Amino acid sequence: MATEDIFGHMFEEFPDESEWDVVVIGGGPNGLMAAAYLAKAGLKVALAEARYEIGGGLATEEILYPCYSSNPHVIYHMMVDYMPVIRDFNLDGPALVWIKPNSQTGMVFEDGKSLLLTRMIEDTKDSISKFSFKDAVNFGKIMRTWRRIVDEIVAPATYVPPMSPLDLTICMQRTEIGQEMLELVEQSPLDIITDTFENDRVRALMLYASCMWGLDPRETGLGFFVPLLLTRGMNKCYCYGGSHKFASAMAREIVKAGGLILEHAPVSNIIIENGRVAGVELAEGRTLRSKVVMSTLDPHTTFLDLVGADNMSADLKEAIEGWKYDKWSYYTLHIASDEPPHYKCDDPWINETFMTVFGIESTDQLLAHWDNVVAGNISDNFGGHATCQSIFDPTLSDIPDKSISFFQMHAPYEIGGGWDKRGEELKEAILGKWQKAAPNMTRDNIITTTFETPVDIEIRFPNMRRGSIKHGDYRPIQMGCFRPNQECSSTATPIEGLYVCGVSTYPGGLVLGGSGYLGANKVAEDLGVTKWWKPTPEMEKYIKTYLE
Amino acid sequence: MSKDERYDVVIIGGGPNGMTTAAYLAKCGLHVCVLEERVECGGACETVEVIPGVRIYPHAMLMYAAPAPGFEQLELHKYGFRMTWNPIDMMKSLSAGNTTTRGVSPITEKDMMGFAKLGGVLGQPPFTKELMRAAFWCPPHPPEVEVTDENVPYMQVYKQHQPDVWSHELREWTMFDLMDEYLESEPFKVTMAFAAWASGAAGHWEGVAIPALLCVQLLILPNTGKMSIPRGGLHGYFHAIHRCAVAHGAVVRTTCPVDEIIIEDGRAVGVRLRETAASGGKKIWASKAVISAVDYQQTFFKMIGGQHLDPGFIQKVKDISLKNGTLYVSTFHTRKPLQWNSKFKAMTESETSVAGPFNIPSGGVYPSDSRELYYENVADCDARKSLPTLPPEKLMWFLTPSQAFNPTDCQGSHSKGHISAAFEVNVPVPEYQVEGPEAQNEKKDELDAYMRKAFSEALDGLEDENIIHHWSATGREVEFRNTGLIGGTWCGSRHCSDQLWTQRPIPELARYRSPIDGLYTCHQTTGHPGALCLMAIPYNLMHILIEDGIAEPGNWWYPSPYYIPQEGKVSAIPR
Repeated sequence: MATEDIFGHMFEEFPDESEWDVVVIGGGPNGLMAAAYLAKAGLKVALAEARYEIGGGLATEEILYPCYSSNPHVIYHMMVDYMPVIRDFNLDGPALVWIKPNSQTGMVFEDGKSLLLTRMIEDTKDSISKFSFKDAVNFGKIMRTWRRIVDEIVAPATYVPPMSPLDLTICMQRTEIGQEMLELVEQSPLDIITDTFENDRVRALMLYASCMWGLDPRETGLGFFVPLLLTRGMNKCYCYGGSHKFASAMAREIVKAGGLILEHAPVSNIIIENGRVAGVELAEGRTLRSKVVMSTLDPHTTFLDLVGADNMSADLKEAIEGWKYDKWSYYTLHIASDEPPHYKCDDPWINETFMTVFGIESTDQLLAHWDNVVAGNISDNFGGHATCQSIFDPTLSDIPDKSISFFQMHAPYEIGGGWDKRGEELKEAILGKWQKAAPNMTRDNIITTTFETPVDIEIRFPNMRRGSIKHGDYRPIQMGCFRPNQECSSTATPIEGLYVCGVSTYPGGLVLGGSGYLGANKVAEDLGVTKWWKPTPEMEKYIKTYLE
Repeated sequence: MSKDERYDVVIIGGGPNGMTTAAYLAKCGLHVCVLEERVECGGACETVEVIPGVRIYPHAMLMYAAPAPGFEQLELHKYGFRMTWNPIDMMKSLSAGNTTTRGVSPITEKDMMGFAKLGGVLGQPPFTKELMRAAFWCPPHPPEVEVTDENVPYMQVYKQHQPDVWSHELREWTMFDLMDEYLESEPFKVTMAFAAWASGAAGHWEGVAIPALLCVQLLILPNTGKMSIPRGGLHGYFHAIHRCAVAHGAVVRTTCPVDEIIIEDGRAVGVRLRETAASGGKKIWASKAVISAVDYQQTFFKMIGGQHLDPGFIQKVKDISLKNGTLYVSTFHTRKPLQWNSKFKAMTESETSVAGPFNIPSGGVYPSDSRELYYENVADCDARKSLPTLPPEKLMWFLTPSQAFNPTDCQGSHSKGHISAAFEVNVPVPEYQVEGPEAQNEKKDELDAYMRKAFSEALDGLEDENIIHHWSATGREVEFRNTGLIGGTWCGSRHCSDQLWTQRPIPELARYRSPIDGLYTCHQTTGHPGALCLMAIPYNLMHILIEDGIAEPGNWWYPSPYYIPQEGKVSAIPR
């Protein structure tokens, strides 16, 4: 007798084979956005996520188990003011609350002095003028231009398909602000900062804020990132309840529109039939058949592991094999404590600051630290940024009135001495440095800690290969229409039906909400589906000014 | 801050009961809002990746719900519900034997046949599903109906399908009495009794023999005779429920703790959120019902308050007993994998008790020598001490069944070591401890060391040098993490006969209604059948919401065949 005859038929399971219009691989921010737009457009969409929970880097998890949650990955949302997805799905207010503190990025020095970047420009100028009146004036002046560059060009362009450098140069000639942006492109971040500011500590803070997410301080060609990262770095938002709330809100939009989400569903193979995409096979053995597959994974995984080198041209294969991962990754120490850190410095606002940099005393030291990291080392001259999350979000702690913080620093994937040994050593070194900057961060104050190395990042998110949070380095030949390569940067690929719309595709990482949005637009256009959404007013103005 | 919102039904708590109810009601076309205190819904159905690549299940880890009508009625398969089937069948999984201080004690033919018979497997035809549904998926009879041997649902099933089991005593026995009648070996009986105790209904309580035994059997028999689990564990199962609710239009708000249930003229009309809620301390109005899917303490003492309740009711609610203990769960991250020690050679050779590529020991109650030992453990747990007073070699513990067959499961290897199955021990409930509720937290290190010593009686590898992490949570920590798990009790209030069926947790609340009009309860501490994430309370509650004219389901609905409508109400049986 079959077991079912003995025990009775109990329940149905999700079928072994199913048909979809679109299958999205990866439930990070871009996969969620792409799926949400297309499901709401009436397409039958399935999203397959390998982890037990959707969100990718939008994770808020109880890594200080039991009782203390942290955001192990995304915390500083820079593009909330521009992201079409928030407006199109009306996520603001009903589903999400953003906290945008005025005190955004602080830097504290050993002698007790401090610098502060704020949302409101005059507060930053006040802080800079402690060191250099001239720099304060220059900051005010340059920010007028840089804000326009970001508002009018860089931010809206994030959500418009990329152009070739030549086309971009021609278009930008149309306006004065466009020309100013082009001038910046040709300079390195270090040049821009050095030319603009005279005080070394001011330079150190500005350089840190410009390059902390992986810009090479000495490389030319991506200078427009300096205004972007500085102005957006003054407008970072915290998602109340943790960054995972953003992911959950988008996931609910997918499901509300009839889409399917499967967790614990790693894809083993993208099915190619007659030279075009026909669906995906899951590692568990199920098949999701579809004419369109959108991958948000890194290029190696998508093309070499899932599609297979046999199914693509030699050129494409070469381009994929030449892909370079991020120049550095991150080491993060998470802490639950009885009290939040009280920094020993001349500005009490530092204690309420979203991000506090300590350990960096000069531009030279910062550059030496970064050079060290790129060379695979971390020595005593390290510095990094800390955030006490519970100041903005008490819900992270299940026990009332406890504090949850982290310290994060740049770190190599491969480190001299190996991470098993260095991980513990760095924890001790950080706790020492932290206590120097904030004397109440004693062992008695600390309830529990956990740290994550670049190798841990890759374990949690296998597509962040080598701990690459952006799935690939920010260097001129991997940006714009070259991200991930010229054939694929529109999100469509030479393989019919296959689209790529993760952070390795234009415009890139840091939860810009760009690639997934652009992927959804492209697929909707290619399938002839009516778009229920319109470009934002900022995008419309940009298109009208530069592209028409 | 966004404006006040209005829904047909507001559900407090996004755990398995709240969310299943939301799915049912949204499917009825009602405009439903679920308010969850934490950032993620799921309640006890949760998975935590404590360090990258290493996940643990802090609470629910086993699949008890297979016979639930909810799978079919809510069509969970459409929302991605998948299982991972255990390749090992029942006979094999029982054959490993029971672990005692003397070594492995074999399970006899009589044990297995008795176990199968009571589970409905030997009926002609087998009636396992019907029996399970009768015991758990049927609302308690209305107060005007006298409960008799003839009308208790599981009694009706036995009478029809296995009449030789039916007897008056069946409803009066303890589980031990029942097992003495049908099973043979003492260690097997003690193991079953302990597993029942950990599942919420103990082996020594009067009058709950069948519910207690069926809770253990729910783990095996309905999963086509295999100890199988959903893909992604219980959080995976929860995801399907959550998505069903959302797909039918339920609005889910996380980080939205409720401070107050708003009562006007004796009727619940909405809730007020706590000031720290993501949407601020605003009000959310409910036109038809407020359903509290959190525990009775928060519901009646924090969100309502004495001015709306009479002192007699308050006293009864205060007296609800949580004395089934707190499950103290330990999960180990070790350099070398744990191993059964030499006394348990038979376990080492059994594929069911050392599963997966790293031979992770799993699935055993130790020591299962005798019921005297079981009683000593019960007495110690109820003694209101913060730490057990039994010597560690006498402590009874439960190593959860292997799930290593499931590629999504937490047990297994990691680049930096090995993850054990979960060890469970029943310890006193914090609020009953004479030293105060914080005592266990203060002595956590001591308690952890004691546990490791106890587990070392049967397993090698728990020396300090081999341990990278020992994850555990005290009852006090559990109730902060998951506020609905009051007292750290996994299974809610005690599932004893005074708190079961038409008495659960007190007669006034047994049919999920409350003294406040428009307020219903839907939580393991407040309704039949209680715990185990069965989708049973929501299904049972549906009958009542139909009776009260709130829910009008489509033709996908069917009531329990043993349901008795309340006089003067709309019957939940479709016409």
